[in-house]
Amino acid sequence: MLFLQLRNELRKLFGKPRTYIGFGALLLIQVLMVLLLRYSPASRGMVRQMESNGYDAGQYLTSLTIAGVMLHPIAFILLPLYVTLIGGDLVAKEAEDGTLRMILSRPISRFRLLLVKWLAGAVFSALLVLMLGLVGVLFARCFFPWGGMFVFVPGEMFSVLDASAGLWDYAGAHVLLAVKAGTILSLAFMFSCFNVKPAAATILALSVVFVSFVLMQIPFLKELQPWFFTYYLDLWRNALMQPVPWWKVNESLCVLAGCNLTFFIIGATVFHVRDIKS
Amino acid sequence: MIELKNVVKIFGRRVAVDYLTLTVPRGVIYGLLGHNGAGKSTAIGMMLGQVWPTQGGVRVGGYEVTSHRRLALQKVGAIFEAPVFYDYLSGWRNLEILSQYSGPTAPARLREVIDWVGLTGREKSPVRTYSHGMRTRLALAQALLPNPELLILDEPGDGLDPEGIHELRLTILRLNRELGLTILLSSHLLNEVEQLCTRIAMLNQGRRVFEGPLAGIRTERRWLRLRAGDFAVAVRQLLAAGLIIADRDGVWIEPAPDTGADRIVRFLVEQGMAVFEIAPEEQTLESFYLSLMKDSRQKSPQF
Repeated sequence: MLFLQLRNELRKLFGKPRTYIGFGALLLIQVLMVLLLRYSPASRGMVRQMESNGYDAGQYLTSLTIAGVMLHPIAFILLPLYVTLIGGDLVAKEAEDGTLRMILSRPISRFRLLLVKWLAGAVFSALLVLMLGLVGVLFARCFFPWGGMFVFVPGEMFSVLDASAGLWDYAGAHVLLAVKAGTILSLAFMFSCFNVKPAAATILALSVVFVSFVLMQIPFLKELQPWFFTYYLDLWRNALMQPVPWWKVNESLCVLAGCNLTFFIIGATVFHVRDIKS
Repeated sequence: MIELKNVVKIFGRRVAVDYLTLTVPRGVIYGLLGHNGAGKSTAIGMMLGQVWPTQGGVRVGGYEVTSHRRLALQKVGAIFEAPVFYDYLSGWRNLEILSQYSGPTAPARLREVIDWVGLTGREKSPVRTYSHGMRTRLALAQALLPNPELLILDEPGDGLDPEGIHELRLTILRLNRELGLTILLSSHLLNEVEQLCTRIAMLNQGRRVFEGPLAGIRTERRWLRLRAGDFAVAVRQLLAAGLIIADRDGVWIEPAPDTGADRIVRFLVEQGMAVFEIAPEEQTLESFYLSLMKDSRQKSPQF
């Protein structure tokens, strides 16, 4: 039964043109970024960076490196935007449209309905991240050679990997990125369970993510960083480090699992006591 | 089939339903009447477990809705407020999705219900291409899919043209007669309720102001229409003789208890008055509803 209901929820989700905004936008942005990195002087900085560290740019200015470079801005801004857009819609849009009344005239518990919707949202997040990873590396491959992976974020990350290890780490980063996407979606989903418009749920979730991130950047609050849930959202970057700090990954996974559960419980509790009425 | 006991629902400071007690017996077509904001939809929302009562108990099919919602709604089909569908999906897909919230539904059952409501041939088209009447039929189909014993229809004729209303009326009667469904119907269309329902309840400001068989309302008042040579004189004499207790509009008289039209006619003829016509007032549901609402307004200081 749960499978049937999940399948139907996915049919509803992927039947809406709105669902594909994220896929379309990410595809377009990745294509643009690859073309910019290929045909503009932008890649010169990367070449300088590699050569100043004693690495052959010809060996490391590859499709994997480019896909990794593109991942940072997309994961920070665009991914949260598109998952909150869908997460905010999951319950609030059905309540706004009136289809929720049709569903809740059926003998399905509110908890089960929310569980099915949350699972559909999780599937969406995973697919969005999967597409992001595949398109990034495949499109970059059209313009850059296959080879090792060079990861450099000043003051934070420096990794040089051969092609095989780079591909594994790139894949691992996407698995963890799906966890980030799922957690942000859960936050939007929680707000969606409140008696608010879908846009309000999306904006609230984005606000929490960005405000939390901004607060984390205030130097006086650096010590409090572990108390912000956004601190753990960057767990995917750990997969690109050498060696991978597994304790940090595990800690982030545990915290984010707790966040997901908390968001779901709050959402379900609010939704349970709500009156569904136009 | 449905039992509401002293149910109260308060939204903020507004009392939407005020100590409502209602029983819908099995097998009837039951009408729930009232003006906008009378509490009909709130009452239906509570029956479907979508609105939580502030106080009181709501039982459907023998189960308390607040604590055993799944069991209570197992044999219920409903159209609650305006039916809305996923416009971008086909009628078939909509029915499949909605019915599977109740349990697995065989394609044969879907086809059977689609045929029953007369949507065969259009079931694969997106719902956005459906007319209002077709959407109503689709709503009825989704309500019928779980093989319900109780059908709750909230304003099902809203927005339908006269032909659509007629068609819907025949369908509801068929459902009651052929499938033996108990039907709770809320409607503004008094004429429709009069033609369909066997029992009704009227709500005003969340309170029940009438509950009983529809046939009963016709005997609630015993006004007679009298056309006599001189109405004023006739009334004076009838009042003096204690045969009537009131008159109105220069044509209506209300007989005293246990006084029939025959006694009145005999008395007037004996008094030498010409009697051209005497007939009982044919009270329609509309006139009953309006007089009840008027009485209710007069009694209620805040209205």
